[in-house]
Formats: sequence, structure tokens, C-alpha cells
Amino acid sequence: MGVLTIGCFPGLVGSGVYDFALKLADAAAGKGHKVNLWFSGNASGSIKAHQKHLKDYPTGEKHLTALLEKGVEICTCEACALARGVTKPDAIPGVQWNAMHWYLAKVYSTDRLLHIGGE
Amino acid sequence: MADVKLAFIVQRPQYKSETSRLGITHAISYQTVEVLLEDGETITPTLCFLGEGVLGLTKGQKAMEAYGITSTEAHVKNALLVDLDVLVCKEDMARYGIPEESLPNAEEMGADKTIQVVPYSEIQKAISGAKHVLFF
Amino acid sequence: MKLGIFVSDYKPSAQILERIEAEKLGLILVLNGVYHAVLKDGAELLEKTPHVYALSEDLATRGLSEDQVDKRVKVVNYDGLVDVMFNEFEQLAWV
Repeated sequence: MGVLTIGCFPGLVGSGVYDFALKLADAAAGKGHKVNLWFSGNASGSIKAHQKHLKDYPTGEKHLTALLEKGVEICTCEACALARGVTKPDAIPGVQWNAMHWYLAKVYSTDRLLHIGGE
Repeated sequence: MADVKLAFIVQRPQYKSETSRLGITHAISYQTVEVLLEDGETITPTLCFLGEGVLGLTKGQKAMEAYGITSTEAHVKNALLVDLDVLVCKEDMARYGIPEESLPNAEEMGADKTIQVVPYSEIQKAISGAKHVLFF
Repeated sequence: MKLGIFVSDYKPSAQILERIEAEKLGLILVLNGVYHAVLKDGAELLEKTPHVYALSEDLATRGLSEDQVDKRVKVVNYDGLVDVMFNEFEQLAWV
């Protein structure tokens, strides 16, 4: 099995691209691959806890928590999150906070990288 | 494994979305990635601008005055200052009528590198030679 | 290099698709990119390479059946997509 790193930049509630990134991470983890997920830009706002899951708003909290339980490493850009008013006490437990070099370090040793730039 | 080459490709204009700026700042972060790597492990990024990504690179930007944000011009100068190879597509500059002299440089800041305006074939080489590519 | 390009828009404006070269080039149609697999207008993209994939969940989401998919396109689900990413390509790009 290999290592998949996903850089996810678009990330507003209701973004099909964000949903795709999470489903892909889930599929890869389910197949036994090691998965790293980096959030920057708007995706960093998705790590805020206490999201209300409404039927037409596929928010990420439930899925992110499930991914963490599967061993996926999820890290948000600290600056991007803070700029969006999300602080560590507000965040989903288990999500890491770091600077961009966390992503580059994962990219260094990953087998496959899918960088999904923002919109 | 020692050095890993990465190609950062900015293909969208600056400012409407932060995406294009994040391409530059993520490339610059290669400067500090060594804190998370083992001794001898390095990353060599090449930052490339092509298509509509060549828009928004000209000098004299007033982003700070107008919107209170660091200009792309400043970010590009920082990229040069940290010895990033910055390639801008010659054909796309010509397509949009952007003169090479309009591009900034960072010599006054002490940078050794300058922006290289190159044919697309050189950018293709950077893509082909990289272990991973990141399109912004 | 073996490069798999994710196409997530219908008729994307990204110019890179017209220029990029690879020893093996693949197109992976996801989200609105799956329309290239079923519509005549946009099917010219399929001529770029014999290695074209479309995500079944994104077809189904849009009410498109696999019967409508161009024969040149291989339909895969998320699990299949992961296998394509690891087994068929070395570099991946989202344009």
C-alpha cells in the first residue's frame, strides 16, 4: 500500500470539490493506503467544530471525524484558519495545526499527490 | 531519497481568488520545510506562471493601499529573494501583450535570482522533471 | 512521466490541456467534467488520449447512466479511481 497526500483548497460548505476530496481520502484509507489531508485557503474554515449537518449542506465535520478515526492525518493551515476566525478551541479535535511546510514535508515522501487548488 | 523536485504551476490570474497567491507562498515555504525532514532531505521547487497566470505579475501594484493585502509583486520578490526559480511563459506574455520590462525584480533587496521569461517548452521540462506537480 | 489530469469542469478554460505532454497522459473526469463523457459537445477532449476515466458516482449524481458514456471512457467508482491513481500514473494534476 502507498501514501496519498491531498491538498484541499476549496472548501466552502456545499462545495462539490471539497466533498470529492473527502470521499477520495475515505476510499484510499479504506483500501489501506496512508492518507494525508492538508487544508489551506477556504478549506481551512471547514475544521470548525459544531457544524450543523442539514440535508442540503454536506458539511465536513462528520466526515472529517470519521477520517481521523481511520488514521488519516488532517492538518489545517494555521494562518488560514485564524484569518477565518477559527481558533484551536473551536476546532474539530484531532485536526493538526501547522504552517505550509507541513504540507511540503508530506509531499516530500508521498507516493501520490493530488493538489486541488482553490477556485 | 535526497532532493525532491516539485513544479508549482500558477494558471489563474491574481487577486480575484487567493489561490494564485497561495501558489507562491506554498512554493516559498520550501525554505522552512527542512525542520520537518531528515538531514539531507531537500525540496527544490520551480514556480511557473502560464496561461492566465501571467496576469497580475507586473510591477507597481497597489494592493496594500487598495485592499490592505500584500501584493503579488511583493510575494514574487520574496520568492526571488529565497532563491526560487520563477519561470513565466514567454508565449503567454506575448499573447496578452505584457512586456517583459513590466515584470518586477528583487535586486534592490539583494536577490540573486530574477524572473525568467521562458518558452513553454521550459515549463514543460519543469513539469516532466518534477516528482509531483501542483496546479493553482 | 505518466500524468493523470483531473478535469472537474465542463469545457474547462485551463489552457494547459492543450499544451501538456507526457509519456502517458490520462484524463480523469470528475464532478462536472463527466459531461465530456456523455455529451457530443465537448467530446473532442476524448481525442487527446486513449486513457480516459469517468467517476461513476458523479455520473449517477447528475442522472447520467453508464449507457450514455462514450465507449472510449472507462467508468470507475471511488475505489477504482484510487487504483487508477496508484497503478496507472505517477503524477496527478487537478486543473
